[in-house]
Amino acid sequence: MLQPSIPPVEPRPSLNTAAKLNVGDRLLRALYPPRANAWQLRWLGFAMLVLAAIFPWLGGPFYTRLAIESFLFGATALSVDILLGYAGLLSLGQAAYFGLAAYISALMYLHVTQSFWLVLVAVVTAVAVFSLVLGAVAIRAKGVYFALITFGAAEILSKIAHNTRAIGGSDGLIGIPVPRITLLPGVTIDLQNNFVFYYAVLGVLVLIYIGTRRILDSGFGAVLRAIRDNSDRVPYLGYNSFWYKLLAYIMAAQVAAVGGLIYPLLRGFVAPHLFGFEVSTKAVVMSLVGGVGTLLGPLAGSVIVTFLESAVGSYTERHLLVLGVIFIVFVMFLPDGLIGLARRLSASRGKAAP
Amino acid sequence: MEDLLGYLHVVVLPQVIDALIIGVALALVALGLTLIFGLLDVINLAHGDLYMLGGYAAFMLVGWGAGYWSALVLVPILVGAVGWALEELGIRPLLPRADRAIVTLLLTFGVSLVLRDIAQVVWGTETHAVAPAFTGIVSFAEVFVPTYRLFVFGIALIAIFATWWLVYRTRLGAVLRATAVDPSMVASFGIPIRWVYGLTFIYGCGLAGLAGVLLSPIYAVFPTMGHDFLVMAFAVVIVGGMGSIIGAVVAALLLAQVQGLASLWIPPVWAETLVYGVMLLVLVARPGGLFNRLGEA
Amino acid sequence: MIKVRALNKAFGGLRAVRDLSFEALPRCVTSIIGPNGAGKSTAFNLIAGTLQPDSGTVELDGRDITGRAPFALARLGVARSFQITNLFFGLSTFENVRLACQSLERRSSYLVRLDRLARPQACARAILAEFGLQERANELVGNLSHGDQRRVEIAVCMALRPRLLMLDEPTQGMSPSETAEFDALIKSLTGRATILLIEHDVDLVMSLSDHVIVMHQGEKLFEGTPDRVRASPLVREAYLGVDHAAV
Repeated sequence: MLQPSIPPVEPRPSLNTAAKLNVGDRLLRALYPPRANAWQLRWLGFAMLVLAAIFPWLGGPFYTRLAIESFLFGATALSVDILLGYAGLLSLGQAAYFGLAAYISALMYLHVTQSFWLVLVAVVTAVAVFSLVLGAVAIRAKGVYFALITFGAAEILSKIAHNTRAIGGSDGLIGIPVPRITLLPGVTIDLQNNFVFYYAVLGVLVLIYIGTRRILDSGFGAVLRAIRDNSDRVPYLGYNSFWYKLLAYIMAAQVAAVGGLIYPLLRGFVAPHLFGFEVSTKAVVMSLVGGVGTLLGPLAGSVIVTFLESAVGSYTERHLLVLGVIFIVFVMFLPDGLIGLARRLSASRGKAAP
Repeated sequence: MEDLLGYLHVVVLPQVIDALIIGVALALVALGLTLIFGLLDVINLAHGDLYMLGGYAAFMLVGWGAGYWSALVLVPILVGAVGWALEELGIRPLLPRADRAIVTLLLTFGVSLVLRDIAQVVWGTETHAVAPAFTGIVSFAEVFVPTYRLFVFGIALIAIFATWWLVYRTRLGAVLRATAVDPSMVASFGIPIRWVYGLTFIYGCGLAGLAGVLLSPIYAVFPTMGHDFLVMAFAVVIVGGMGSIIGAVVAALLLAQVQGLASLWIPPVWAETLVYGVMLLVLVARPGGLFNRLGEA
Repeated sequence: MIKVRALNKAFGGLRAVRDLSFEALPRCVTSIIGPNGAGKSTAFNLIAGTLQPDSGTVELDGRDITGRAPFALARLGVARSFQITNLFFGLSTFENVRLACQSLERRSSYLVRLDRLARPQACARAILAEFGLQERANELVGNLSHGDQRRVEIAVCMALRPRLLMLDEPTQGMSPSETAEFDALIKSLTGRATILLIEHDVDLVMSLSDHVIVMHQGEKLFEGTPDRVRASPLVREAYLGVDHAAV
């Protein structure tokens, strides 16, 4: 009589036995991490930051720019994790916001203004409106529909961009001027300089990470975690889960848009594929590789995947094949990602020592 | 008045007939998706790529001189076998998980990427044509339809009816519907659930393969053909109601008409956007789609 | 307190609840009993907002709450438990109860960092102490014993400070000794909220309830005090006669 969707799951198998875990148990662990050892994550974050801070002195200009690109996709991966790791929503269409932001900023630099701040306001507004409308429909439809609707929206945007002559059609827009960004009166950021560009983007990413973490470490984040854990139960505590999911979706859209906002300044062009499933896919792969539900994992994942792709790219054109195989391997065998793997390794070593 | 009738006859009617043929083919792809979802809660994102494999298989078989007719029979079996491998190796191990809906979605997404890229490696990015089994044009009341398209329509209709018959009029179908509602109950009767799952997967993928053979002479064969078809197929399944057989057929016919007629007056891209818009509207009005899920009706 | 009038619900051809009317008095325990398929659970779900009735009304303290969404009902002071344990299995016991406490806070406080959101924490600690769950506070609910999970379920309900507490077979799957313990627990809650109870264990119902409603084939067959229900030949025939000949 009630929706016989997924057959009742037996009470979850005990989560903290160190006995041989099957893949399903590990996924449960991934999605329901044992009390996140905050200090481990903090050290990892610190180590990543140090590495990122010295990187431009180690790699040349090519790798510095590649690292910037990985940061931009990292923001999109982070947005996937906000949805999947906290609200339990799988979005296969975060590229919609990456692309939307990229196109809006490209068009504005080309035709309207050279002010980064005006562009920022326009992007934030457009993304907010679009995500509010799409999110409201997609979340009301719930469950697996959410993934399909977000996927479809990005596909449609990509097709529209592909076929609209006015915004460059399949060639996209090229020759986007790089603006000077006035941070304070008298203090400008010169993006022509790779070092400056790199540290500016790194700074933005760190701010986004800290902001996201802070927002999700609140009562709001607690309700989201409850929704991820058992969304059917949440209404009986007096929470209208629709609003929480919608807010999470709007927030994730803004985070994903940051990558698109800066991308045209890095590469000087935008093209329809920025809307496409490849960007959405990458974002999901990155968070899977790093570890869903950790916020830090997707950032590590984005660096790993971007550099891996670049390395593979010098041997073969087959990006999708590589992404697909990574996808399958992580879903089947490492559902808690590299951070989960590290945790399990350190846990088993801790067990073996005494 | 005369003009309007003429317009309807010469411009609109052929488009309606064309859309009808696309609609039934679309229904074949959507049927497989909806059957698999209704039974296993799995959204097969690789479904479009299985359709693509069907197209390439037909291209190869016909190219080797096996003939169209043998391709029509062999390809669904071949694609069914690929689907079986996917189910056996990839999906079955994930089914016990609590979030099987999400993980299987991710898995089939990965598989889809791999299949598409393999197709590019093996057959290149260019478009391949497949010769239709017969040429010629049928005309009635001064509307001309290529014979092959009528043939596609007929075969697809037969396959749709056969699916309906299998699910609603046979013992196997009864088991299938019962499994969709309560797998553990069916298992307690001593019926091997894994075979029910496996067969459904093979059958659903076989349908995608069949659609691949049927449409390859009309649209030709290229690596992203499945991907392009997939968004449309999902719109169909969502509008019809995930897991509903009748819904998939009705929605396929409906959306194909929307797209076909709209592209008379607006550019094709916007026609597709319109279809997506219709899907969103249906979801706003009825979040579960138009029809009930398998076994619930 | 709660007033149900002419409630109807059909699933396809099956009329699960027919013209059900009853009233639960404030601070009393009202129980619904009946054989399997009598429509108890459906009636319960209709009142709790899980299902929408085809017709009829439900009133809470004179306010029409028919067909309101579960989250709205929870805010009006209706808390329910579930027949099959339904909690946040991947969160700790403390967090389960804390989430319930948090929902009483103003929404504007939800961006405050969790460790500074003090009141829900204090509330959760008090509730855990009251239900003897302090030692389980940091364990995942999924790892608790069945009995403890049932206890957490009640604790979560009470953390919502309900006016109406709806318990759906709270002793489901418990051993006799656990059931006895639970009997005492539920007794301790009477007077703090109006309680509406569905229960299979007839002895438990008779010992707890002030008022008993007997349902049969979707309809109300009889209502009255436990003694009168026990004495009713009608009930005996339709229900006790079948299932509990010995009572």
